[in-house]
Formats: sequence, C-alpha cells, structure tokens
Amino acid sequence: MTYIGIIITFVLIENFILTQFLGLCPFIGVSRKIDSAVGMGFAVIFVMSMASLTTWAVYNLILLPLGIAYLQTITFILIIATLVQFVEMIIQKTSPPLYKALGIYLPLITTNCAVMGIALIAVRKGYNAFESFVAGFAAGVGFLLAILIMASLREKLDSEWVPKPFKGIPIAFVTAGLMALAFMAFDKALLKNLIG
Amino acid sequence: MLKEFTKGIIKENPIFIILLGLCPALAVSTQVVNALGMGAGVIFVLLGSNIFVSLLKDFIPEKIRIPSYIVIIASFVTIVDLVMQAYAPALSRNLGVFVQLIVVNCIILGRAEAFANKNDLSRSVLDALGMGIGFTLGLLLISLIREVLGAGTITLFPIGAFNGVIRIPVLYSAPARVIGLATGALLVMGYLKALLNWFDQRKKV
Amino acid sequence: MNSIFVSGGKLFLICVVAALTLGIINAITEPVIAERKVLELNMALNSLTGELQAAEGVIVGEESVVRAYYPVLRAGKVDSFILELNGSGYGGDMKMLSRYKLNGEIISAKLMDNLETPGLGKKAENPEYMKKFIGSGSSNPVPVLKSMLEQSEAEAITGATITFIGVAKALDEGSRFITEGRLAKVKE
Repeated sequence: MTYIGIIITFVLIENFILTQFLGLCPFIGVSRKIDSAVGMGFAVIFVMSMASLTTWAVYNLILLPLGIAYLQTITFILIIATLVQFVEMIIQKTSPPLYKALGIYLPLITTNCAVMGIALIAVRKGYNAFESFVAGFAAGVGFLLAILIMASLREKLDSEWVPKPFKGIPIAFVTAGLMALAFMAFDKALLKNLIG
Repeated sequence: MLKEFTKGIIKENPIFIILLGLCPALAVSTQVVNALGMGAGVIFVLLGSNIFVSLLKDFIPEKIRIPSYIVIIASFVTIVDLVMQAYAPALSRNLGVFVQLIVVNCIILGRAEAFANKNDLSRSVLDALGMGIGFTLGLLLISLIREVLGAGTITLFPIGAFNGVIRIPVLYSAPARVIGLATGALLVMGYLKALLNWFDQRKKV
Repeated sequence: MNSIFVSGGKLFLICVVAALTLGIINAITEPVIAERKVLELNMALNSLTGELQAAEGVIVGEESVVRAYYPVLRAGKVDSFILELNGSGYGGDMKMLSRYKLNGEIISAKLMDNLETPGLGKKAENPEYMKKFIGSGSSNPVPVLKSMLEQSEAEAITGATITFIGVAKALDEGSRFITEGRLAKVKE
C-alpha cells in the first residue's frame, strides 16, 4: 500500500480506538481534560512509531532467520515495556507537571492494546521497515485525534445535564459510540475514491 | 475462601466494575462463539499467570517483578495462540490479533500485581477462576446482545450436522446491523453500564 | 550491587525457562498447523474439481492477485485450471479459489479466508453468490461493476458492493491470467 494509503487507513478508516477498540482504557481514562489528552496522545505516537519500527527489526532480522517466530509475543511486549520505561524517564525529566497529570496511565501505555496491536498488525500485513514506522505513527495520530475530540466533547459535557445513571463512564461510552458512527463515513470506499 | 471466587463474578467483575480488558471485549463480541473462545483463552492465561506468580512470589525480587510477570503471561498467551492455531483454526482466524493481545489484557497483569503476588496458591487459583469466569460472562452478555440484535443469530460451536448458527425468526430478516458494528459495541457498553449504575443507585436509596 | 546481579540472573532464568517451554510447545504444534493447512487446501481444491484430481500447484507470487495455479487433469490431459486468487475486500484481503476453462471461462468459484462483514459481505461465502460469475470470462465479460449485473442480482448485493467488486476484480484478473497466456510464462 502507498504511504498515503497507510496514513489514511490508520488515522481514519481503521482508527484504532473507534473501529478496532485498541487503546480504550487510556481513552476512557485520560480524556477528561484536553491538556492531558494531548500529552498522552503525543506520548503514544512516539511509543507506537518507535515500537513498530523496533519490532519489525527484531521480527525480520532476528526471530524469522533463527526460526523462532513463535517468540513474537514475548519479545514484542518486552520491547514495548522497555520503550515505555524510557519515555517515562524522559517525561519525568522534561515535564514534571505532565508526568503528574498522566499519572498511572503513563506506565499503562505498556498494556495499551494499541501499541502491541500496531506492532502485530504491521507484521501480519507484511510491511517493510519504513511502512511499519509510518503505520505506527499514523495509528498514534489516529489515537490522538480520537482522544482529542473525545476530551473536547467531555469537557463540554461536564457542564451539561446528564441523566444520573449515565454520569461519568456510561455517557463517555455513548459519546464514543456516536463518534464511531461518524467515523463510519471514512471507509474503504472513501480510500478507493481518494487514491484510486 | 469462596469469596475469592465469587467476587470476580459480580462485585469486582472485570468488565463492568473495574473496566479492565475492554479492548478484546468490544472487539470480539460480534459472535457468541468468539466470546466463548476468548473467555476460555483468558481463563487459561489467568490461571497460569496467577499460579506461577503466586508460586514464585518469594523468588522474584521486587525490582524485576513487572518484566517477570510479563514474561510469564506472554508465555501462556503464546501457548494459547499455538494450541488454538493447531486445534481450533477457525476460532484462531476469527479472533485474529486478539489472541496475542491477551498479553496486554489489563486484567491478567492487574491480578498478578494486585493479588497473586501477595496471596497463597489456592486463593490465587480461585481469584483467577472467578475473574476469568466473570470476564467471560460479561463478554457473553455483550456478545449475546450484539449478535442477537445485530445479526439475528447466535453462533455456537459446530457439532456434527449442526453448523453452529441458531437463527432467530423475526430478527434474522431485519436485524439492527449497527449494533454489530463498532458503534454498537460502544453504545451497548454505555447503556449496560448505565443500567448497572441505575441498579446500584436504587439500592443505595 | 550484588542484588542487581541476583535480580538480573533470576529474570534471565525465567526467560530461559519460558523460551524452552515455548520451544517444546512449538515443536509439537508446528507440524499440526502445517498439516492442517495442506489438508484445508486439498479439501478446498477437491470441492471445485469433483471427481477429477488437481495436480501439483505452481506458485506465482506473494504480491500478485494470482497467487498460484493448479492444473486439473482428466485422463492425463489438462482439463481446467484452479487459480488461487487474492482479492481486496471491505475488511481486507480475501482468499479465493476459482476453476477456469482453458479459454478463461469461470466454471466455479469459492470465497475462503476473508474479513468481510457478517450478514453483508460475508454472504459471498455462500455458493449461490458465485452463480453470477459462472460462465463469464471468455465471450461474456466478468461483471466487475454493479451496473453489469441483473436487477435481482444487483439488489442482492446492496450494502456489500465493495466486497462484490473485490471478488469480481480478482476473478476477472484470474480469467485474464489464462487468456493472456501468463500461465505459460510462469511455468518456465
């Protein structure tokens, strides 16, 4: 697939949160305020791009040639855990308020299905090194896009009336559901029409 | 003791109360058979993980506990993945990446960190079973709603001549397709959680 | 200082035990998985050939629409070809097997691995679905647009047009593969 195709696919058509449900926990957890949402989004973009590139390298240069492809799950998650540790240290040094705002959700990027998800999907689709990197980056951007829209909506919702049982989590899910409905406009047909 | 088992099913149900393990829950809940397969996989990994973390709790130093838990969990996930590919290929194809994604299912690492590394073997086993079954039941509920309303069928395992698909008369010819799609999953989850909150609030009054 | 070595050592030990265990499981399951794939392929081929036998396949490539082809023999002579096709559907790649006459006409087709939407695109897995393609490919063109279908057929694929186009284009490509003589080129 062309690089534009990859970007459009992972940002809009197969938006990780709204169509694949990868990355829901932080999505629901960090989307209350726009600032923390943006911070989380950028951290995720960084981790996802680096992760998909690194996992591509390990899979194609080490696992496959040695015939130990079955160790994919273990090696991928360990790579991701290491990357997240690294990002944590950087954020702690460069922006302590962001570090505090993200709180527990920063180390939780490790168990964020989205990061592991894009690493696995890039391998399944047989992308080369650069394609994997672009896919990771694009998926991260898609995550940022979704979480940004969500945070804006939730900030607005906070000052509106919501039926009691729906307050908090349920209305967040319903909002996400409506966002997913809107994103259905971006489907394969759109991609085909855009790039033929 | 029994409480360790039952808490996972209602009071601390992973999906609806603690809100963990959502990604696979919403993604595979398009068909009942997928929910059953995923549930079985999660129960197996949870058991394996809790058992080994509990057994090794004094052996694993605090500093390296997270990477150790990750290796243990990832190993069990790989076992499930390979065994499923070999002996249940259709299920493996349906669940796709989500089998491997069990490794990032917050429930498993969560229980290892919050429970198994502080409790003895028998309690850890019960905890794993309770949480696993609670997860499966929650997943089944969502899948039933989504498949019945979204496709008008209930898909189970094919046995002999029965191809596994139960069709529901009126709904099969005019299902509400959107419920089977991404939107539906999120909406169903929202409404179910609201329903739960409503029950909760009534009880408090 | 000492504790770092001990910790590191323990982590290493856990990893080694894990790797060894998985190696054993893999050794057990790998042949089963491989065998199953061969079995599935043979079953699929046989469902298209009936009482005839498909001969050994020729791999075409990993990137092209036509992935491989299998000559079907009747009394020692080539009667038809089964092509393994890779189409592009709504949810992703679609694997198909299709049997063609030597003039490129479609005899039968089957949709196999796919990620189409249940209830919509997935209906293409139904043998009835392929009826609209049977007989096309040589003098009749393969219908690759909704407008090339009959009214009833067009209505039946409402909401699953992308799947239809994906299937049709792959089948058409397969037909051209034969009529444009690319079969012979690969043989060499």
